[in-house]
Amino acid sequence: MRTSIWLACAVVGAGAVASGPAVSQEALKIGVPTALTGTYAGLGNEAVRAVEFAAEQVNAKGGVAGRKVEIKTLDSEAKPEVARKQAEKLALEGYKILTGTIASGEGLAMAPMLARWDAIYVSTINKSDKLTGESCGPRVFRVNKQDAQDAAVVKPWLAKRKEGKWAIMAADIAWGRDSGRSFVEAAKAGKKQIVAELYSPFGTNDFAPFIQEIKSSGAEGLWVALAGRDAINFATQAKEFGILDKIFVAGVSFVTDNTVKALGPISKGVWGIINYSSTLDTPANKAFVEAWKKKYNGDEPTNFEGETYMGMQVIFQAVERAKSVKPMNVAKAMHGGTFDTILGKLKIRAEDHQIVAPNFFGYIGERDGKLRPIITETISAETATPAPTGTCKMAAF
Amino acid sequence: MLVQVLNGLVYGGLLYIVSVGLVLIFGLRRIVNFAHGSLFMIGAYVGFSVAAMGGFWGAVLVAALVLALAGALLDVTVLRPLQREDPIVTVLVTFGLLLVLENFAQFVWGKDFLKMPVPAMLSGSVSIFGESFPAYRLLVIAVAAAVALGLSVWLRVSRIGLYVRASSADPLTTAMQGVNTDRVSVVVVALGAGLAGLSGTISAPLLALSPSMGSYILIESFIVVVVGGLGSFVGAFVAAMVIGQVHNFGLVYVPWAATMIPFLLMVAVLIWRPTGIAGSHV
Repeated sequence: MRTSIWLACAVVGAGAVASGPAVSQEALKIGVPTALTGTYAGLGNEAVRAVEFAAEQVNAKGGVAGRKVEIKTLDSEAKPEVARKQAEKLALEGYKILTGTIASGEGLAMAPMLARWDAIYVSTINKSDKLTGESCGPRVFRVNKQDAQDAAVVKPWLAKRKEGKWAIMAADIAWGRDSGRSFVEAAKAGKKQIVAELYSPFGTNDFAPFIQEIKSSGAEGLWVALAGRDAINFATQAKEFGILDKIFVAGVSFVTDNTVKALGPISKGVWGIINYSSTLDTPANKAFVEAWKKKYNGDEPTNFEGETYMGMQVIFQAVERAKSVKPMNVAKAMHGGTFDTILGKLKIRAEDHQIVAPNFFGYIGERDGKLRPIITETISAETATPAPTGTCKMAAF
Repeated sequence: MLVQVLNGLVYGGLLYIVSVGLVLIFGLRRIVNFAHGSLFMIGAYVGFSVAAMGGFWGAVLVAALVLALAGALLDVTVLRPLQREDPIVTVLVTFGLLLVLENFAQFVWGKDFLKMPVPAMLSGSVSIFGESFPAYRLLVIAVAAAVALGLSVWLRVSRIGLYVRASSADPLTTAMQGVNTDRVSVVVVALGAGLAGLSGTISAPLLALSPSMGSYILIESFIVVVVGGLGSFVGAFVAAMVIGQVHNFGLVYVPWAATMIPFLLMVAVLIWRPTGIAGSHV
């Protein structure tokens, strides 16, 4: 037994020596504090898949400017205080470029600690406006769409809808509250009436009381901001009570590629914001989808996987430009920079570090014999991204 | 209003089936079974797999039986050898078991959320005083009522029920009277686990399946057991029904405090009536 352990050590040691000269520069270490258990476990697994895919792809080509990419993932349970602890652990172990975190509350908990850890955080899923608003900073970046960008899409769409009375069903966390607030504003602008505004505790089992409230409110339309397990529980139970058939339903992060897989026909006909779709017709996206399908047995990348992959593309290009893996050097390269992504050439605003990106709208329908989100409207990056609100006071580098 | 009361009964009913299993096991073995939530979760997954092949009713039966068998195994291999140890040892071991079972589910059924369809026969809704209510939810209430009724008859009438009540009150004296408490315990733990499996499958058409789904129900079940009085069957029933209603009306009328109310109820019970509603008697 003992001999075999020594032997194993020797083999590993020899391997390390042998592979040493091939990658001579300091590795690019990316930490992923994300939800591997709990309500957002499904989303966390998507983020991890995308990060691993991107790392493997670039490592196969010799790394990022000769630097090997190393990944470490820790479970944050989608809880802000756990995320902060796990991110700190990752940063102390040298994984100082953090990404792939799900809940906005987690990103907001990590943001003020980044300077102390000498780390940077690149959000690929957090939506709360605060992250690139009040909580913005030189070390915080967002490569996915924020609530304001989703709201910019919802506003004109809602104004055109014939339903006059609307209910809101959202998760009682930073993102859900944000999304609910923007929908109320959009409703005001479109002269729609909000008849019920409901926020469910994170990780709710039984949505029946909320569904009953929606039913008795007389709403004709329903806006849903629930994700992961919450989304599946709500959709199943809403179907059971018949409101999915009687009320017009739309939402954000509600019926995504992954929840459609679990829900099946229940999700058909639900409208919503689509932040990324594997069907987008750009050469870069097509190449990405093909490579992805090859690795994951014909599965297409989901919206969260696409967005997280985009985040990795931005990180890699920033490291190349910075010629360094020092977090602050990478941050400087990202600040105001333009990057090649699967959604085209996109800019990260210097004012608040928000990416200026196109957004999409559509519904769940059948295409190629498969139920999936189908894009009906594409909103250009300029229209989809409102100007910075001024809440972000970016500190000097 | 009526529909909200019914909704409370559905949730309370589910909680009852899970917690009464905990109460059964606690009554005999004097341990808090942390693995109970994961038995519920495994029950849901087994039900999901069987339902895909052999229909919903087969799934309910198979899941309950498989989990009952697992429960018997749990008693013989884990709880019995540890009965002379400090209770904290058993608690830690069952907690470890919870982690193992979660990983097991992740390995067998994957990490993605799964969804079990509502059985076609019960997918419609029923009109109750002019309000439509999903038929499947009525089934959940019916199952909970049947379990409560069946269990109390079994405990009152059958000989083994008598032994269970006696062992719950005082295992040592019961053993001195010539009752083989180990044998009683196997039956009881199997029954408790079987009920966890049953409730898992019954709730699968309502809830998303994930390896960590057990933890969502376990905490509320603990509250039910404490509020009802440790080891009390009647207490668990009353407490589950109360918490079902409180949970439901809390979300409707005081949403900002809803998640806190069950905990406050538990704190109140612990302060003013530490032995629980039923005073910790069978």
